[in-house]
Amino acid sequence: MKPPPDDALDVELMRAVGRQDRHAFARLVERHYGWALGFTDRMLGTRHEAEDMVQTAFLRVWQGAGRWEPHAKFTTWLYRVLYNLCVDRLRARQTASGEPLGDALVERLADEAPTGEERIASLQRGARVRAALDQLPARQRAALVLCYYEERSQAEAAALLGVSAGALESLLSRGRATLKKWLRDELQ
Amino acid sequence: MDLDRFKECSAAFGAERRRWPPREHALYDRFALTPEGTAILADAERTDLFLDALEPAESDPRRVRDIAAIVRPAWQRLAKPAAALAASALLGFALGYMQALSASDAGMASGLLLGPQSLQEFGL
Repeated sequence: MKPPPDDALDVELMRAVGRQDRHAFARLVERHYGWALGFTDRMLGTRHEAEDMVQTAFLRVWQGAGRWEPHAKFTTWLYRVLYNLCVDRLRARQTASGEPLGDALVERLADEAPTGEERIASLQRGARVRAALDQLPARQRAALVLCYYEERSQAEAAALLGVSAGALESLLSRGRATLKKWLRDELQ
Repeated sequence: MDLDRFKECSAAFGAERRRWPPREHALYDRFALTPEGTAILADAERTDLFLDALEPAESDPRRVRDIAAIVRPAWQRLAKPAAALAASALLGFALGYMQALSASDAGMASGLLLGPQSLQEFGL
């Protein structure tokens, strides 16, 4: 899911949220929750963590709206908040476990699958991708999620990650190379 | 060499033209249908197909409402549970009162049946 295109409405809503308008906040959440969850879910690989992160990000929207200036698009700002939260969470996870989720995640997602063979197979395929993405350093993963899944422009993704266009390309190449190797190893 | 650049782009952006930077579209068009270009894109497409297997998370409307509700003042958030608690307390009190009343009626009825000693208890 992509962010909705009406930037002017976002600016209007954010100004209202800055005045503590709860209805405007509810509207903003409705408009942006879907893609925010999609991005965060692909970054973190676990649904419940992604939901928590999105909630935290929207709380920051509420708390920070009074100071917000529309220098950049609201979606770009929210991407950055989400990205920073995800990176912090990934680092904390790595520190806590010392290793990525890997097969445990694949098994857990397969266990969570509803009935229906095709649905189970689809979830298992998705879980494999999550496990593979989990092998990537946070910035490579973010570059792939932003450019491949979210289809953000290279300029926007580079700005979000605070890198040059060349460095973004390098992150993407290295990320995809790791996935390719992971896939090859898995097939052998 | 341009084919090297084509390879670099496919390694970074995958097999689909729309994912390539606009400035490289001409390069894509030049090589995509050549034998070398087709082989390079086929290799990138395997990774694309793998990535495509991850479906986007579906959002839960209840969760959206919950987040929107977080910023409501505490008294509003607590209003519903407080009202429910008050209603159940009131109901409990009413039921208890009615029970006590009917027990008292029963005592009076049994007093009437048991005779004068019991009637004295009621001050009669």
